[in-house]
Amino acid sequence: MQVDASAKWPGLALFGSALFWLLLGGTLQFIAAIQLHTPTFLAECAWFTYGRLTPAAQNALVYGWGINAALGFGLWLMARLSATTLRHGGWLLVAIKFWNTGVALGVLGILGGYSTSFELLEMPRFVTLILLVSYAMIGVWAVTTFSIRNTENVFASQWYLFGAAFWFPWLYAIAQLMLLKAPVRGVLQPVVNAWFVHGLYGLWFVPVALAAAYYFLPKILGKPIANYYLAPLAFWWLVIVTALAGGSRLIGAPVPVWIPTLGTVANFLLVVPVVIIGLNLFGTFSGRYSALAGSVTLRFILLSAIAFIFASILNLAFSLRGFVEIAQFTLLSELRDWVVLYACFSSAMFGAAYFILPRLTSGAWRFPTLVKMHLGATLVGVALLTVALGVGGWQQGHLLGSSPVAFGEITQAMTFWFTLRTAGFAVLLFGHLAFVINFVGLLCPLCTCCKKATADVGQGSSAEGHA
Amino acid sequence: MKNGLKLFLGVFATLALSWVGLLLTAHQQIGSLSQFKDPVDETLYPQPLSGLAVQGSMVYQDLGCVSCHTQQVRRDGFGADLGRKWGQRGSYARDYIRDSVVLIGQSRLGPDLRNAGNLDLHPYADADYFYRLLYAPQSVAPGTNMPAHAFLFEVHALAGRQPSAYAIKVPGKFGPGAGYEVVPTNRARSLVAYLQSLKDSYDYPVERSRNASAEKPKEGGH
Repeated sequence: MQVDASAKWPGLALFGSALFWLLLGGTLQFIAAIQLHTPTFLAECAWFTYGRLTPAAQNALVYGWGINAALGFGLWLMARLSATTLRHGGWLLVAIKFWNTGVALGVLGILGGYSTSFELLEMPRFVTLILLVSYAMIGVWAVTTFSIRNTENVFASQWYLFGAAFWFPWLYAIAQLMLLKAPVRGVLQPVVNAWFVHGLYGLWFVPVALAAAYYFLPKILGKPIANYYLAPLAFWWLVIVTALAGGSRLIGAPVPVWIPTLGTVANFLLVVPVVIIGLNLFGTFSGRYSALAGSVTLRFILLSAIAFIFASILNLAFSLRGFVEIAQFTLLSELRDWVVLYACFSSAMFGAAYFILPRLTSGAWRFPTLVKMHLGATLVGVALLTVALGVGGWQQGHLLGSSPVAFGEITQAMTFWFTLRTAGFAVLLFGHLAFVINFVGLLCPLCTCCKKATADVGQGSSAEGHA
Repeated sequence: MKNGLKLFLGVFATLALSWVGLLLTAHQQIGSLSQFKDPVDETLYPQPLSGLAVQGSMVYQDLGCVSCHTQQVRRDGFGADLGRKWGQRGSYARDYIRDSVVLIGQSRLGPDLRNAGNLDLHPYADADYFYRLLYAPQSVAPGTNMPAHAFLFEVHALAGRQPSAYAIKVPGKFGPGAGYEVVPTNRARSLVAYLQSLKDSYDYPVERSRNASAEKPKEGGH
């Protein structure tokens, strides 16, 4: 396929860097998780103090893993759906280098003490321009590829990818401008920050995950999306309302009360598009669950679709005053964002990678066992973390809400959940390691004979292959 | 949808709408909140931070304290913030105009710090308390999982010298032992100055009504 050939090097570079950050970010996250129940661990060194490790890990995962993987998947799918090739791959490679240099400087900057402490904007301000310019140089190919499309129709995945390609740089540039370049005063800063964080999760990670689901379900199952005529409605409804929902993160905060109220109303309005997307995705699945056995991609996509519904339910719950009063500021609010970033988005990217990477290299996954291990670790890790953050957070919220319980007692009571959380991250890290080994195996042309011997576990039947 | 231009305009309008509707409108409303002059003592509130405290707020930023600590007191009837003595009242937007970087936080792995330096609420919270908390958290807050920030301190061998005037007293088993002194660095001193400056004790008459518990009439009704 010409698409695969043209996307080979940019795709491999993007997924390769994404995996590097996935491992690094996962490791930092794991160390930080240990510190919550063993606070002496690596505490002597300022570079590894909890307050720096946590944002460093989160930034590595969001900007290193998340955006690299999303771009690798997005560019390939955009070219594929536009029935054209990815042009000027050389420029892309340069831009990818710059992007990753920027992320590396940013993560080191946070660890070294230049953090701005604004959520997801912690990277020191000197990397802003590097990131924006290099993103523009990568993202522009998604747009140009779309504009030279050779197809009559524009598919749902393309709307989501096209939108995400624009929303991220706008959100990022505006947030940088209003928080660091020409800072707004007082509590407007948390408002801008909440708007950015909500936008990054809701207008970048969710759309990319949905683009994957809308593409791979009909592709692998060999049937059209159920109730597809409703998909445009769901798209516009979802994105317009999500863009207005940022204030829902500020319930109870010292901001004008219409801001959280607007966010709450927006979150309630989101029920409709979520139901439609649920009908689209699970309607397509229905009756074809047997196909799961043959395709790892499909299994990851199913996990991602379930996580999307779960994340939407959590989002709705975080609009209910009674729930927020308890769940706010606890592990449950961590769960809310983690479900989007990991269970929904990252699972979709794993699924996409298992489909795309063998096509880019015209090879096959060399270690089928590792693929199974990765899938298993993802399922176990997601389950462990959902329980640890969900149940633990609920208990934490109740303890915080009863003032006779001393703060030290809360920390002691939470030790079990903190430990479970660490175990969850460890299991996920193990899965990532399996994935990376397999990726390296795919790249190494060491033994071409065993490649042929190994069944294509990524996609069971060859019929669904290179169509 | 077949038209690329329409898609682009829609995508643009989506974000433009939320930017104007949420951020610009909020900016219009509270972007120019000013200090309030108390008619009795003729002082402007909130009072600006001292220079050392401003430096301390930068240390607070670079160490990522916001990862575990909020700085927002939820009003009566919404959570147990007042019961936990995290404030004498809920926070107002006006409280924050003295801060150049506003970090209200989103995680309470540690307690809220908006009134950490308020001696009416925490009479024990003097400079020594904060130094000991930073150097060896367990020495003042048993059971805490706050990491020690020993890297903000220098440990010197006394070797017969007089200890430094800044040396802090660390209880036996947490300290480096006899013959050594623990001296806070400039970073530690400014951070502690910042923590001590954290108090919203002035209650603005114009905002007082907003802090009244909205829940109370409802509870009475049941």
